[in-house]
Amino acid sequence: MGIITILWEKWVEFRRDFYKITLAAMIAPLMYLLVFGLGIQTMSHGKPYLHYLIPGVISLTTMNGSFNAIAQNLNVQRLYEKAFDQVMISPTPLWQFMIGQIIAGSFRGLYAGAIILLLVFPIHTGLIFNGFSFFVLFLNGAVFSALGVVVSFLARNHADVPRFSNYFIMPMAFLCNTFFSTENMPKGIRDAIGILPLSETSSIVRHIAYGEPWSPTGIFVLFLYLFCLAAIGLWFVYRKQNL
Amino acid sequence: MIVLKNLTKKFDQFKAVDAVSLTIETGEFFGLLGLNGAGKTTTIGMLSTLLLPTQGEIFVDGELLTRKRTDLKRKISVITQEYSMRQDMNMNEIMEYQGRLYYMPKKEIRKKTEELLEFCGLIQDRKKTVRKLSGGMKRKLMVCRALLTDPEILLLDEPTAGMDAVSRRQMWNLLRQLNEKKLTILLTTHYMEEAESLCARVAMMSHGKIEEINTPKNFIDGLGQFAVDETTESKTMTHYFHTKEEALALAARTDASFHLRDTTLEDVFVERANKDEGR
Repeated sequence: MGIITILWEKWVEFRRDFYKITLAAMIAPLMYLLVFGLGIQTMSHGKPYLHYLIPGVISLTTMNGSFNAIAQNLNVQRLYEKAFDQVMISPTPLWQFMIGQIIAGSFRGLYAGAIILLLVFPIHTGLIFNGFSFFVLFLNGAVFSALGVVVSFLARNHADVPRFSNYFIMPMAFLCNTFFSTENMPKGIRDAIGILPLSETSSIVRHIAYGEPWSPTGIFVLFLYLFCLAAIGLWFVYRKQNL
Repeated sequence: MIVLKNLTKKFDQFKAVDAVSLTIETGEFFGLLGLNGAGKTTTIGMLSTLLLPTQGEIFVDGELLTRKRTDLKRKISVITQEYSMRQDMNMNEIMEYQGRLYYMPKKEIRKKTEELLEFCGLIQDRKKTVRKLSGGMKRKLMVCRALLTDPEILLLDEPTAGMDAVSRRQMWNLLRQLNEKKLTILLTTHYMEEAESLCARVAMMSHGKIEEINTPKNFIDGLGQFAVDETTESKTMTHYFHTKEEALALAARTDASFHLRDTTLEDVFVERANKDEGR
C-alpha cells in the first residue's frame, strides 16, 4: 500500500538523520522551558509557571516538528531534487501519498513532543499525560503536516517555506495558549486566537495535564482543520496544472 | 500505443506546446527533436502527468491518461532531464523506493536491483548516496530505476546528457535491446546521431508545434544524401546533393577546401533550424 511506502521513505530519512532531528527538536523548547520556566520563576493561576508552560511547549513542539518535517522536505523534493516527480509518475495513488505524509509528519511531531516530555520527567510536576493527550498531540501534528503539504505545493521557491513559517507558525507558537493564557486579551483577539488549531491543542492538553474536565469540541475543530487542509492538499496533487 | 490529440500547454500566455497530435505505435522507437524551448520536455511532462494539458488529450492503449489512472501509470516509466532523485538516499534505497511505489514484492525488488546495478556497472557503489555520484552514474541509476518496474512505455528526456562517449554507446545498446523486446520508447535528445541511430521515426518540433514526422532516412533523403563542406578562411558552408556526381561536380568547381560526406540527421536539423531562424 502506498501509505506504507511513504512511511518507509520517512523512516529511512529519520533513521539516517536521527541525531540531527533529535537535537533540532530539543533546542528551542528546552530554551523556552529553561528561560521562562526555570529562569524566570513565577506563578500562574496559583501554580508554578513551569506547570503552565510544559503542556504549551509540548503542543508547540509537535506543531513545529510536524510542519517542518513535511513542508521543508516536500518543498525541496518538489523544487530542487525533483524527487516528487518519481511519486507523480508512479501508480501509487496520490491520496495515499498525502495520507502517508500526514501520518509520518504526525509521528515526527509526536516524537519531538515525547523528547520534551522525557526531559521534563525528572522535575516531578505532577502533570498528567495520558492516551488522550497523545491522541490530541498526534491530531495536532496531523493538522500541521497537512498544512505542510499545502505550503510545500504553494511555495514557488525555497525561501517561501521559512517565510510562511515566520508569518504564521511562529506567531501561533507564541500566541496560542502556549506561554500565557489569552483570557485577559480583548475579546475579538481572544476569539480569533481561540479558533486556531494550536490553541485548541494547548487547551485540551493543559486541561488533561491539570486533571480538569475538557471539552471534546476542540477535537472536532482539529478534525475540521485536518479535513479542510487535506482536501486542499488533494486538490493540489490532482488538479494543480503544473506540479 | 500512445496517442496525443490536439495537445496544448500554455504557461500564462506562452504556448509551450501548440496543438500537437501524433500517434506512437506499440513497440515503436520514436524521437522528438527540436531546439531548446521547442516544447519537447513540456510534452514529456504532460505524458508523465506532472503537467496537465491546457487543451487536448493523451491516450495510452486507447484509455485517457489522467493523474488518477494508476493502471495506465503502471505501464509508464520516465527518465527525466534532471536528476529526479532524493540526494540523501543511496542506490539501494532509490531502487527500493521505486519498487515500493510500483507495488513490487520485496524479493523481486532486491533481485532486479542486483541485476540492473550489475548490468550498469554500479553494483560496487550501491551504498553511495546520490549526492556522491558523478553525473554519468546518476544517469545510469535513473535508467536502472526506470527499468526496475518492467514498463511497457519508456519516456526518455535527454537520457544521455552528461554521459561520456562510452557510457552513451552502452546506453544506446541497452535501449536497442529493450526496443527489440517491444518496449515503446519516446526519446527527446539533442544528440542527432542518437536519434538517427535509434529512432524508427522522428518528429521535428519548433515553437511548440510538430513541423514534420518522418523516418530519419526520409528526412535525409529530402535534403540530399550527400553533403559537401566547403571551408573558406572565415566559415564553412555545407551543400547538399541527391547524387554523388552532383556533389563531386561542386567539389571540382571550388577553390576552397572541401569535404564530401554522407548527410546526417544533424544536417537536416541544422538546416531546418537555420530556415526557422531566417523566417
